[in-house]
Amino acid sequence: MVIVPRHARVWDAPTRTFHWALAAAFAGDWFTRDARYLDIHEFFGYAIGALVAFRYAWGLVGTRWARFASFPLSARSAWRYLVSLARGRQPHHVGHNPAGSWAIHALLAMALLEVATGVVTLGAEKGEGLLAGRFGYPVGDVAHAIHQWLAYGMLGVVALHIVGVLVGCFADRQNLIASMLTGYKPTDDAIADVDAKRGIAVAMTLALAVGALAYFRGYLPATGTQPYRPYASRALPMDAVWKTECSGCHLAYHPSLLPARSWSRMFAEQEAHFGEDLGLGGETLRHLEAFSASNAAEALESPVAWKMATTIPAASAPLRITATPYWVQRHERLDAATWERVHRLECEGCHRDADGGEFAPGAIDMELGKSAVRKGK
Amino acid sequence: MATGRGIVVAVAFALLGVGGRACAGPVDDLLQQFQAQGASHFTVAAGEALWERSVTDPKTGEVRRCALCHTTDLRKVGKHATTGKAIEPMAPSVNPKRLADKEKIEKWLERNCKWTLGRVCTPQEKGDALTMIGSR
Repeated sequence: MVIVPRHARVWDAPTRTFHWALAAAFAGDWFTRDARYLDIHEFFGYAIGALVAFRYAWGLVGTRWARFASFPLSARSAWRYLVSLARGRQPHHVGHNPAGSWAIHALLAMALLEVATGVVTLGAEKGEGLLAGRFGYPVGDVAHAIHQWLAYGMLGVVALHIVGVLVGCFADRQNLIASMLTGYKPTDDAIADVDAKRGIAVAMTLALAVGALAYFRGYLPATGTQPYRPYASRALPMDAVWKTECSGCHLAYHPSLLPARSWSRMFAEQEAHFGEDLGLGGETLRHLEAFSASNAAEALESPVAWKMATTIPAASAPLRITATPYWVQRHERLDAATWERVHRLECEGCHRDADGGEFAPGAIDMELGKSAVRKGK
Repeated sequence: MATGRGIVVAVAFALLGVGGRACAGPVDDLLQQFQAQGASHFTVAAGEALWERSVTDPKTGEVRRCALCHTTDLRKVGKHATTGKAIEPMAPSVNPKRLADKEKIEKWLERNCKWTLGRVCTPQEKGDALTMIGSR
C-alpha cells in the first residue's frame, strides 16, 4: 500500500477487524435465522457477544479514535452536524462524526441486547445454551419476540449507517469504506498515526477461528446416513401400548402434539376414527386415555407442545394435527411434492425425530425439508 | 397338514388335559371357538373368495377389499389404503409374527371386517380367512 502524504492511520487493526467481523457475524445471523440453522445462528450470536464485549473494552483502552471519548453521544452536536451537512458546509471529523457516533452506540447496545435475548430464548425454548432451563416458555416467547423485532431494528440502523457512510464519502470526497479496510484517512491536520496494534487483531482472528472449529467440530465426522445433530434430542415420554395401538395404521403421533380435549374427543369418536372403527375398549382404552391425558400438549413436554397448547383456540378440539394453526403456520411454503408426503402422513419423511415426538427444527432433513418450513421464527 | 395338526392336538389333549390347549396355537384355538359359535368346515378356497370380495362403502363410494391393503399375494408387503403405511406381509411363511397372537388376530379381524365389509364377519368368514392366511 502506497501511502501518500497527509494520510494518517486513524483506525487501528483491532477496530477494523471488529468492524468487519461484526458485519459478517450479523449477516451470518440474519441468514441463519431459520430455526433449522439454529446451531450456526447460535455460534454467530456468541461471536457477536464476544466482539461487542471487546469493543466496549477497546472503547476504554484502545487507540485515540477508537475510544468512546473521541465520539461522545451528543444530540446537539449530531443535529448541528446534520444541519451543516445539509448545507454542504460540514466540518471535517478525523474519527467518527457526531451523527455516526449515535449509530455506533445504538448498534453496540442493540447487539448486546440481541445476544442477551437470544441466549434467554435458547435457554427457555430449547433448554440449550448458557441459560438452559433457567426460564419457562412464557419468558422465552417474550425474549423471542424482542429478539426478532430488535433484529429488524438493527437492520434499520445498519441501513442508516451505510447511508451515512455513503453520504460522508460523497460530501467529504473520501473513501470511508477503504479507510475502514486500510485504517488510513486523508487528513489536512497534522494528525499522528495511531499504533496499528496488529498483534491484537491477529489474536482476535485466531480466537474466532479456533472458536468456530471447536464449536462446529461435530460436523467433521458426520455422514449422509449419520448426520450431525447439534442438539441432543429430548426423549419425550412414550408408552408401549400407545406405540403398538397407534402405529398399527400410522405414525404413533406423540400426544404432546394435540391438547387433552382433542384426545378426549379422539377416543369419544373412536368408532369413526378417520373412517375406521377402532373398537378399542376395556383396559387398553383406559390406558390410552390416561397416557394421552397426562402427556397432551398442556404438559409442555417440548417447544412444539408449548406452541400447540397456546395457539389452538380453547373452543376447538382439532383431531387433525395438520389442521392446527401452528402446523399450518410452520408449513406455509410446502411445495407439491412435500404436500404429497403430508397426505401420506409421512412426517418422518422430513422430520427425523417424528417417532420420538419432539419435532425439533434441527432434526428436519435439510434436503427433503428445504422448501417445507416457513422462513424466520 | 390339517389332519396332522389335529393329531397333535388330540395327543396334547390326551397327555395334558385341558392345559394342553395352549400348545395348540392361537389359530386352532380360534377355529375351535368359531366352530363352537356355529361355523362349519373351513376351507382355503372360501377364504380366497372372501379375500377378493369387493364391497362398495356406502358413505365414501370406495370399493374395498382385503387385497386393497394386503395385496393379492399375501407374501408381499401391503400398503394402508388411507395412511399409506407399509403393512408387513400377511403370510406366516415369510412373516412368522403373523397368526401368533390371539388377541391381535381378533382385534384386526374385528376392525378390518368392519372397514372392508361394513360389518363384523361371521365366525364362518373369520375361520375361512384364517385358514387361507395360515396356508400361505
